[in-house]
Amino acid sequence: MPEDPNLSRRDLLRGRLLGRIVESAANSAQRVAAAVSSAAVARETPDDGKPVGAPGVGRRFALPIHRPPGAVDEVTFLSGCTRCNECISACPVGAIVHAPARFREAAGTPMIDLHASACIMCEDTPCIAACKPGVLSADQPRKMGVAWIQTMACLAHTGSFCTVCSERCPVPGAIDVVAGRPTIRADVCTGCGVCASVCPAPTNAIVVMPLADRPLRSVHPSTQDPER
Amino acid sequence: MLTVDRRAFVKASAMAAAAAAASGSNRALALTVLNNQPEGSPLKWQKAPCRFCGTGCHVMVGTENGRVVAIQGDQKAEVNKGLLCVKGYHVGLALYGKDRLTTPMLRKNGKMVPISWEEAIETIASKIMANPKGFALYGSGQWTIGEGFAGNKFMKAGLGSNQIDGNPRLCMSSAVTGFLSTFGVDEPPGVYDDIDACDVAIMWGNNMAEMHPVLFSRLVDRRTRGEKVTIIDMTTRRTRTSDLADHVLYFKPHGDLAIANGIAHLMVKSDKYDKDFVAKHCNFRKLGPKPDEKTPPDMLGVPMTFEEFAAAVEPYTPEKVEELSGVPAEKIRMLGDLFMRRDVRINSFWCMGMNQHTRGTAINCIVHGIHLMSGHFGKPGDAATSLTGQPSACGTVREVGTLCHLLPGGRLVANAEHRKEAEKLWNVPEGRIAAKPGYHTVEMFKRFNTPTDQGGDITTLWVQVTNPGQTLPNLNRNFRAKKDLADKFMIVSDVYPTATTELADLILPSAMWVEKNGMYGNSERRTQQWFKMVSAPGEARDDCWQLIAVSRRLLDKGLDGMKGKDGKWIFHTTDKSGKEVPIWDWAHYYDVNVDERLFEEYRPFSTKKHKNLAPYQEYVKSRGLRWPVVEQADGSWRETRWRFSEFDDPFVATGKGFQFYHSVSKDDKALIWFRPHEHPPEMPDAEFPFWLCTGRVLEHWHSGSMTRRIPQLHRAMPKAYVEMNREDAVKLGIRNTEIVTVKSRRGEIDLPVWIGGRGDPKPGEVFVPFFDEGKLINLVTLDEYDPYSKQPDYKKCAVTIVRKG
Repeated sequence: MPEDPNLSRRDLLRGRLLGRIVESAANSAQRVAAAVSSAAVARETPDDGKPVGAPGVGRRFALPIHRPPGAVDEVTFLSGCTRCNECISACPVGAIVHAPARFREAAGTPMIDLHASACIMCEDTPCIAACKPGVLSADQPRKMGVAWIQTMACLAHTGSFCTVCSERCPVPGAIDVVAGRPTIRADVCTGCGVCASVCPAPTNAIVVMPLADRPLRSVHPSTQDPER
Repeated sequence: MLTVDRRAFVKASAMAAAAAAASGSNRALALTVLNNQPEGSPLKWQKAPCRFCGTGCHVMVGTENGRVVAIQGDQKAEVNKGLLCVKGYHVGLALYGKDRLTTPMLRKNGKMVPISWEEAIETIASKIMANPKGFALYGSGQWTIGEGFAGNKFMKAGLGSNQIDGNPRLCMSSAVTGFLSTFGVDEPPGVYDDIDACDVAIMWGNNMAEMHPVLFSRLVDRRTRGEKVTIIDMTTRRTRTSDLADHVLYFKPHGDLAIANGIAHLMVKSDKYDKDFVAKHCNFRKLGPKPDEKTPPDMLGVPMTFEEFAAAVEPYTPEKVEELSGVPAEKIRMLGDLFMRRDVRINSFWCMGMNQHTRGTAINCIVHGIHLMSGHFGKPGDAATSLTGQPSACGTVREVGTLCHLLPGGRLVANAEHRKEAEKLWNVPEGRIAAKPGYHTVEMFKRFNTPTDQGGDITTLWVQVTNPGQTLPNLNRNFRAKKDLADKFMIVSDVYPTATTELADLILPSAMWVEKNGMYGNSERRTQQWFKMVSAPGEARDDCWQLIAVSRRLLDKGLDGMKGKDGKWIFHTTDKSGKEVPIWDWAHYYDVNVDERLFEEYRPFSTKKHKNLAPYQEYVKSRGLRWPVVEQADGSWRETRWRFSEFDDPFVATGKGFQFYHSVSKDDKALIWFRPHEHPPEMPDAEFPFWLCTGRVLEHWHSGSMTRRIPQLHRAMPKAYVEMNREDAVKLGIRNTEIVTVKSRRGEIDLPVWIGGRGDPKPGEVFVPFFDEGKLINLVTLDEYDPYSKQPDYKKCAVTIVRKG
């Protein structure tokens, strides 16, 4: 999909791929049932029965891992990342950690761990600036994933009042509040996870799904967003 | 959450709780959780009112192995019907902050040193013995009824001193003076059922969505059922309540008096007030002349005729009101027309906006007045409802009378007959209770913070269950000055280190909420009971025990005041066989239910003002009962919802329709007051050009000493900020999140700016929440207060905003 020449970076930025991703997020969300867990998705197996990340699965293992902003597509990322830790030390909030062993080949590469901290979407992206091999790239969209509100656990959706996620969201317009109830605009949401980290519901109402398919690094110049 | 079993449920979050809503499928969810418990589950569920606000929601508390492990909304509670707010769902975690106080500590050579309870009790008793008249007790609307009653008896019947006041002075006392001036007796005539029945809800400077979220849910939930409820939000800043309101009327700070008078003006002018109701049930009233230059006129006023009243409200034309309040004249007419309609039910709500007001008594009276004049009174949905901020401001402080001028059951210390009755019920010698009221809160702290030789005659102060080091206005003057006064001694009973314990000389670790037996009374006259479910950590002990133990020590030291008329100790308690139980000894304190004993001793006080309470055991069975609770012929106990209305209140004589049986004018009539609009004591000027308003936020309860220790709530709202209008920020070149200095004539603090945030003040106004111990906005606020209620105005003072660097 990402190599589809008809898809521009703008499409990607605007999340036109996201219908599919959101669907997968929703399915996973039901399976995971509660709480934030990007890691949990790593345990899911694709249709062919092979575990995620197993040799031979190819592009499919790009699905589960929550990369820092500006990450290139997973294949390029895995081959390019030198595990130098520069992005990890550059992150001002400690949101970037080494992927644990259960991520197999990806173990040791940088990932966002929402249990440690959410990505705060720094304007100057020190993680990208620190990345020498360029697998975190300023040319890539800053989209890491998408957040999903489980309305049954959300206070605002179940008769109480709460607007914390929308107030603390660092991405303007990513969370709309209509009649006191927040909804996430999947096309604007970057998956930074701030909403999930601040959600005060007794059972955290927000699941953050890592982006399933990140776009390839090279994009045809003619399809580039003229506004950028 | 679909297939949750108990284990998964408890594991899912540190404190598991069901997101049970008042409506639809969510209600089933909470039940599922209960019913799915495996056989023989060690989890034990018991009822308790929520620890936090005055709404009085009930929670079910799940305990296991001596710990609270789960909370859920109580389906059987009429108040909340299973729903809770974000604070309520996490209330159990308030017990388990990492820094609970667990041992008494005494300041020795400037350092806090752990000591034994024996030494602590002895220290307090010695301090009191040394100077009983210089001792003051500062209590709280979070005191349980038993604690408040014990404290009141200890001071007024034991020490013969009226130096006891409570923090409701800072939050509720203008509502009290409003009710007293209008009806002759405190507390709302209506109940929460009015929320379910009204057609129009008017918020008088009340951000109900954040401060009483469960009640606001109860209101807006009616819309989801297809009912029409018009919400009119009168406010000085856009809030979460405004978001759901049909009409948002922005008024200038202090403009509320003009608006209310404007409504009265329109009713008089168009001659469409409820003439029948007014003729039968109301008198008009105004303030009399000042007795002298310094003393304000008597709170109960002098009669005036309707013609005089009409002339007094004559100047409040919609255009004049627009000039005074900033609300467009056509909106004032809309409000006037609404009150003149007989086919709608109108429920007014207010909280701190009207109470923390240098004209608090006045605005409370006028709002009652327009409800009475228009006949929007005493029917389901037609009510003027004041909401309380603390769980037992009503139940303990207002009803038990733990203020410097009150005795239990609505009696006054200044009234000889009332004192006599109280002395008889307390079984103490006649003349024991002092006739002169003690110092109200601000005065008490002023004197404690003034050198003894300069008139600071309060030398020892005991603070229980409250945090004045954060919540008093103008802290530098009223709290922190004590630091440099060597002969002042402050005792603080609390559960966590706070801005108050910071300056304490003796800290007593207290048990809280379900770590002790207790009773609360909420905003709608509902008295609630709970049992101790878990033990307090370390050596923390009940506040009530602390008072009783000190009282006993004073008796042992020969203080005769601690003896009753019969020569026995004032807290003398016996078991069924008549043998004395040594409740002053902690090991025996729970041998009897002291809470029940104190409540039964208090009950006879309650009938004087028709605030009749049922026996303790009735409250054990129920989710609270609204007084007056009256025994029926069949031996059952019936609560009262609409006071003064014949159809519901058993004390109204047949055929009367309405009867204000404690009427100030002694003719069963309520009073419609005229009180003019006046300017506030401090207004913005060239040097301090902004109005500062302070208040609460949804996630934190008052000074945040409990909620800031609950990780979910702390993460959701970690620190204070200053809300500013975008226009002002642009003018001053201030960016969102930039740190600025908020400065008044009294103090200053640095805060990050939040533009277009949760609330949005109008240009020229800023708002700062007061929950953050690290950012004490009360260093900045003004300590001017209402002359009758003595309640300070935290909502209006002049500040300037200074950019840093």
